[in-house]
Amino acid sequence: MNNDLKIVWEVTKWEFNRFFKWMDLIKGLLFFMFFGLIGGVIGYWLASDTFTPPDIAVANYGLFDPSSFEHSDLNFIDHTATDPDTLGQKLTQGTISAILTIHSADDASIRVPSDRAWIFILEQFLNELRRDEKIAGSGVDPEWISALQAGIGLSREFDKAGTSAAADKIVAGIAIFLVLMAVFMGFAYQFTAITAEKQQRITEQVISAIRPQAWIDGKILGISGIGMIYILFYGSMGIAGAFLLMQFGIPIGSALTQINPVFLITFILIVLLGILMWNSFYAAIAATIDDPNTSQKTGWMTMPIYPVMLAFFVLINPDSVPITVLGIIPFTSYAVLPARMVMTHVAWWEPVLAILLLMITVHLFRIAAGRIFSTAIMMVGKEPGLKEMLYWFRRV
Amino acid sequence: MLTFSNVTKQYSKVTAVNHLSFSIQKGEIFALLGPNGAGKTTSVRMIMQIIEPDSGKIRFDPGLITGKGVDRRLLGYLPEERGLYQESPILKTLVYLAALRGKEPGWARKEAIKWLERFGLKERMNDKISALSKGNQQKVQFISSILHEPDFVVLDEPFSGFDPINQEFISDCIRELRQSGMTILLSAHQMQLVERIADRILLISDGKELVSGTLEEIRQTIISGQKIVVKYEGDVNSGQLGAIQGISGYQVIGEGEWEVYLNEGVVLNGILSGLALAGTINDLKTAETNLHEIFIHSFKNRGHVDE
Repeated sequence: MNNDLKIVWEVTKWEFNRFFKWMDLIKGLLFFMFFGLIGGVIGYWLASDTFTPPDIAVANYGLFDPSSFEHSDLNFIDHTATDPDTLGQKLTQGTISAILTIHSADDASIRVPSDRAWIFILEQFLNELRRDEKIAGSGVDPEWISALQAGIGLSREFDKAGTSAAADKIVAGIAIFLVLMAVFMGFAYQFTAITAEKQQRITEQVISAIRPQAWIDGKILGISGIGMIYILFYGSMGIAGAFLLMQFGIPIGSALTQINPVFLITFILIVLLGILMWNSFYAAIAATIDDPNTSQKTGWMTMPIYPVMLAFFVLINPDSVPITVLGIIPFTSYAVLPARMVMTHVAWWEPVLAILLLMITVHLFRIAAGRIFSTAIMMVGKEPGLKEMLYWFRRV
Repeated sequence: MLTFSNVTKQYSKVTAVNHLSFSIQKGEIFALLGPNGAGKTTSVRMIMQIIEPDSGKIRFDPGLITGKGVDRRLLGYLPEERGLYQESPILKTLVYLAALRGKEPGWARKEAIKWLERFGLKERMNDKISALSKGNQQKVQFISSILHEPDFVVLDEPFSGFDPINQEFISDCIRELRQSGMTILLSAHQMQLVERIADRILLISDGKELVSGTLEEIRQTIISGQKIVVKYEGDVNSGQLGAIQGISGYQVIGEGEWEVYLNEGVVLNGILSGLALAGTINDLKTAETNLHEIFIHSFKNRGHVDE
């Protein structure tokens, strides 16, 4: 192996092993599973509570026919003969869930210990009763009313072929989420790796042994590698989860087979290049930071979130010229292009051009990062300003 | 091994190195000395390719050059400002730093264990660096600079942070490395150690050469004459000592004990009468000036001794 490549590989391994810990990954997964389980149990318990029909004591039916008080999710009990004090005691004791009093066709009240989700169902039920009552009283044909209330059946036909299946949309959403996770993880590790080396005075020894470019290349690759491992890990967990759901009869398998392989490959490439690009960017910024506790440059960490915000504009009009351009230029393409690809037809050259530009940007960023790193890494006690950083970028 | 020709380096308003020239011979221990701010670290950083000179040339032995310039694998460096990956295990750190200098991890591991054993740290090789005392961290740092068996090594303050016993031990190690053929550039403030191990010495001040050569040559240049150690009984009239013709300086070194430096070629008879006028002489002997005295003597007159 070429000596430079060998050194880059050594640094890559070192930086990867410095921050990547299997136990942390497993602990994270266990926490995720633990809280998922708690959420599931709470959700199940709440759901089961919702669908246990409440015993609603009806104190007064008003003008409504008592025989029409039938509902699968609500259990109505006739208590018109019970005096209000006794009903109140029953409610306090918990033998009934609520007391319903209908004063007129337009006015009713419900007394419950506290707010309940099923009150919404009761309200809908009473509204229907009231509507039926009003229709019956007016002598209008109920079928005519039904025809009046029916909506128009608008089916969607898209001129631009290639609009994706729901499965692709899910993949795009997951891809954007994972790349963001990896990018922010990269940010945290790059900052720790580089600023700690400066503060622990390791820099001078290493910089005398290897070229700054080889050092920064190894850092970018090693720390990007951690983000990629996390993506791979959580991606695998997702697939494992999908197969688990299939065992319970949930039709995930058919959804998975709908994923367009071209989409998948494009997303993977964009994810990899997006991670490398932002890691190069962060390495350059981190090299200019003298003390992370006081530096003003930590605000740069929000940068990758803006392209994701722009991706939401795709929902308004995925075919507009600004959105098409944002889907190609490197800073925004990693978020906007996947969103466009699932919302509309994208010409074949757009992802090709976007990927090509991302590759060029990654290359230029790593050289710029190397230049900034080699100059700024030895600066202790002061930080280069934006003007100096732009000067180094221009030199690339 | 290395030639520094008319090298200058300027930092905004400060000229750290000013037309400095010297050469280091293969297989020698060359000591670079000077007060703080003299330009030692800047010179060392230029040698280690960390910064570039503004003008002048630094030439390396052809054996240290590859197609792309100086082969960094053949250089070793113990910087003055040093540190290690605090959260990493000792052995792994040493193997990594040797790998950066081109050594195979298997070989580096074997050699690192040998050195750690010699420094009494073998049992702790899997401990994190942060678990070590400052002195032991310095030992690991020293090992990291020579583990890859460089042809040329720069040791900037190798004795700092060590107790006298370990200073002697490091001093022995440096001598051994020279014996094995390594060329060493040494920068240190422990003069008694430097004068015992350095083959040649360069004293610099304000980025310029003050004097260079072997210790004997420097003695001749800086303090060309002899040194007399006089022990007085009772009070000493120091004004009378200052009035003696033919001396370059004097200083008190103990209770009633004074050192007097003579100019070259001065006849001792003329001095002795002056010494007697300053007080009652109890004892008197001639002695050789050591490096510490040369250092102090050289820089005191220039008004910036801050060792």
